[in-house]
Amino acid sequence: MIPELGHAALIVALQLALLQGILGLTGASRDTPAWMAMARGAAAGQLLFVAVGFLVLVWSFLVNDFSVMNVADHSSRFLPVEYRITAAWGSHEGSFLLWTLLMSAWTVAVVLLGRKLPADLHARVIGIMGLLSFCFLAYLLFTSNPFMRLHPPPANGSDLNPLLQDPGMIIHPPLLYMGYVGFSVAFAFAIAALISGRLDAAWARWVRPWTLMAWVFLTLGIMVGSWWAYYELGWGGWWFWDPSENASLMPWLAGTALLHSLMVTEQRGALRVWTVFLALTAFALSLVGTFLVRSGVLSSVHAFALDPLRGLFILIFLCILIGASLILFAKRASAVKTVGNFSMISRETAMLTGNVLLLAALATVLLGTLYPLILDAFGLGKISVGPPYFNAVFVPMMVPVLLLLGIAPWMRWGQESLRELLPRLRWQAAVAVLIGLALPFAFDAWRWQAALGLVLAAWMILATVSGLVARRRAVGSLPLSTYGMGCAHVGLAIGIIGMGLVSAYQSEKTVAMETGDTASLGRYEFVFRGAAEVPGPNYSAMRGTVELKSNGQTVATLLPEKRIYLKSNMTMTEAAIRYGFAGDVYVAMGEPLPGGVWSMQLYLKPFVGWLWGGALLMALGGLLAALGVRKQGAKE
Amino acid sequence: MSLWIWVGAFIVVALLFLLLPLWRQKSALAGRRNKVRWSALGVLGVLPAVTVGLYLYLGAPGILTEQALIQAQTNYDVDGMVKALEDKLKATPNDPEGWYALGRAYIAFDRYAEAEAVLRKATTQAPKDARIIAQYAEAMALKQGGLEGRPLELIQEALEISYEEEKALELAGLAAFQKEKWAEALHYWRRLLKKIPKDTEHHEAIAQGVSTAERKLDLSLGGTGMPLPKPPAEAKKAPH
Repeated sequence: MIPELGHAALIVALQLALLQGILGLTGASRDTPAWMAMARGAAAGQLLFVAVGFLVLVWSFLVNDFSVMNVADHSSRFLPVEYRITAAWGSHEGSFLLWTLLMSAWTVAVVLLGRKLPADLHARVIGIMGLLSFCFLAYLLFTSNPFMRLHPPPANGSDLNPLLQDPGMIIHPPLLYMGYVGFSVAFAFAIAALISGRLDAAWARWVRPWTLMAWVFLTLGIMVGSWWAYYELGWGGWWFWDPSENASLMPWLAGTALLHSLMVTEQRGALRVWTVFLALTAFALSLVGTFLVRSGVLSSVHAFALDPLRGLFILIFLCILIGASLILFAKRASAVKTVGNFSMISRETAMLTGNVLLLAALATVLLGTLYPLILDAFGLGKISVGPPYFNAVFVPMMVPVLLLLGIAPWMRWGQESLRELLPRLRWQAAVAVLIGLALPFAFDAWRWQAALGLVLAAWMILATVSGLVARRRAVGSLPLSTYGMGCAHVGLAIGIIGMGLVSAYQSEKTVAMETGDTASLGRYEFVFRGAAEVPGPNYSAMRGTVELKSNGQTVATLLPEKRIYLKSNMTMTEAAIRYGFAGDVYVAMGEPLPGGVWSMQLYLKPFVGWLWGGALLMALGGLLAALGVRKQGAKE
Repeated sequence: MSLWIWVGAFIVVALLFLLLPLWRQKSALAGRRNKVRWSALGVLGVLPAVTVGLYLYLGAPGILTEQALIQAQTNYDVDGMVKALEDKLKATPNDPEGWYALGRAYIAFDRYAEAEAVLRKATTQAPKDARIIAQYAEAMALKQGGLEGRPLELIQEALEISYEEEKALELAGLAAFQKEKWAEALHYWRRLLKKIPKDTEHHEAIAQGVSTAERKLDLSLGGTGMPLPKPPAEAKKAPH
């Protein structure tokens, strides 16, 4: 009976979401406090019932209720308990339920934390979020129902995709979705501003902490996803320009641009229309990304046609949402008067330039991601757009952004004189170039990728830190959000050091090894001590033992595995990694060769961990900024 | 029935979420009573109706009665069958087939001691029936928690009478497997595999045992323990 209760709970939540939407919006436009109050109640109720639905699904997975089709398709009796729980969001249906749950949680957060907002703006935001939730719940119930039943139930389920049986996959989707869904708050605020025609500095101050929090989650989500790909896919890559990765990068780029333009709008009242446009874009791209990844379009455009109802619903929803918000934008943007002038050389211009470059980079990613899909959809042939395109187009566009990042925070609002600014940054630039060009000589060979990464990173760190110090000396104490900015910018620089060094100096080797064989790579020696079978709960693995030596001393024993998952018969490579500050040693088992010989893949990944460390710092910076902005807002 | 009570409770809770804030606002709304009244009435009427309607359309309320029916039927049938069999055997105890059936029923309910007792009775009545002897061995093994000792002797006895006996082949293979005598396990199980119908769970389970034993044998002979003609489809892409 319990799955049926989950189903009923979602049906109740669907109606509450619709009521929340209608009552919130009409309550605001007709100035009826009673309806606005009902909308708030509906939001709370919606969260309760969606949570009941979600917990019921988790419970069905926990107790192996294979009469629920979703459980039968994505779990099995042999699946360890922790993965039975996370399998709840391993499927298309479950992940949309999680999305909806997070959406209603954000809504309730807006209800609770936004009580100081003007009543009509608050109600409109809640109403718009209600309508979005309604669309998701309708999509869930009518096309992707997680509570479809099987009768009679099968004796066992068909197990979870082995790629998803991993701790990284447990937290990656919720973090990513928290980010995506978080942008719906900025979206709802933007639509509300367009409807009411009121968009001022105060508006920007309300939206900023929400956007910052969404951006923090999205950053963490992307970071965990990249780290997961690194250790789980067995060849140590950290970014593949895969469409499913691009799907998360695009909203991140738009969100990053939005953060910065919100600051301009808040401080100077400028760039209002641009800010609204970015708020719409960031959420629209979150939706496009989720649907791309989750609808099956990526694996094959024809997956769309296999389930026409799903595909149609998605298309109509996207068209209505993006179309309606753009029409609203076109009609009402003129009502949002831009005030505040700024000259060609000013912090506003610098930030706008950075913004435009970010969006241009976003456009190249969008093109590279959608173009092959569109060609395929119209039967015009299959092409593959991969790293060569993205590296050639995306990277050059980011270089000026990173250069600007060092200067912009220290420029004056309104008007800045280059004659005063440039001398202040002279030595930072000189030292950065010097460090960047000299440091690569410390490695095996001088490579331009490393030099470029190091010059940029050194510039960003020096300019940011010296700027912070100078500003502090000038004004006494700095707000928390400024430290957040510094932390995020330094984090990005550290990430770029990792990217530059690992792409310039990583080395790899594939060797056939027999027990007792030794292979060497860099300053390490790898001694193969043989492979033995180890049973797992739902797989059987061959585990190799590799002794890692440096200068004749054993520094670590690495245990890479090759697993065969019994139910799906899929082979998975579990790499063994020795993490280190200056780089990782990465060993993966390849194919077994006759006579007890194994092909082994050995990799050295210098400074690769800095990538994720940098991302972590960026997220921390975002968090500090969000707290700082909120505190400032509370004071005022 | 209790499903509908729960659905009713859901509706009540949902209405509380909607109407409580309304009620709290009431004092502030002296002039707008009508609007408030109408929205309250509207919600009161629509929410229950739509919930029930949508659930009947989307949900599977029927599955509950079906599940309950099947549950009741199986419970009733099995309990009744066992009881009837016990009564019948009390009246006509000289019935090895009957004791055999009762023993299997006891095993199904994890009542191993009783199973062993009635199967012993069956073997004394039909001492040359390999099937009954093998079943007796299984009951005994289940009771003592292992095949060692007497169960193994009984299995050999059953196999001497009939080398085609399925239960005896299965248990003999299992005993060999547990002692890591892979070749011997394969000998019994491959023979068994030919006798049981394909596409059954039993077949799948034995086949899995065979392939494990094959791998182990290969390993113990210095092979890689992996099926050689490879590579299988390796997942190199993100799973989205």
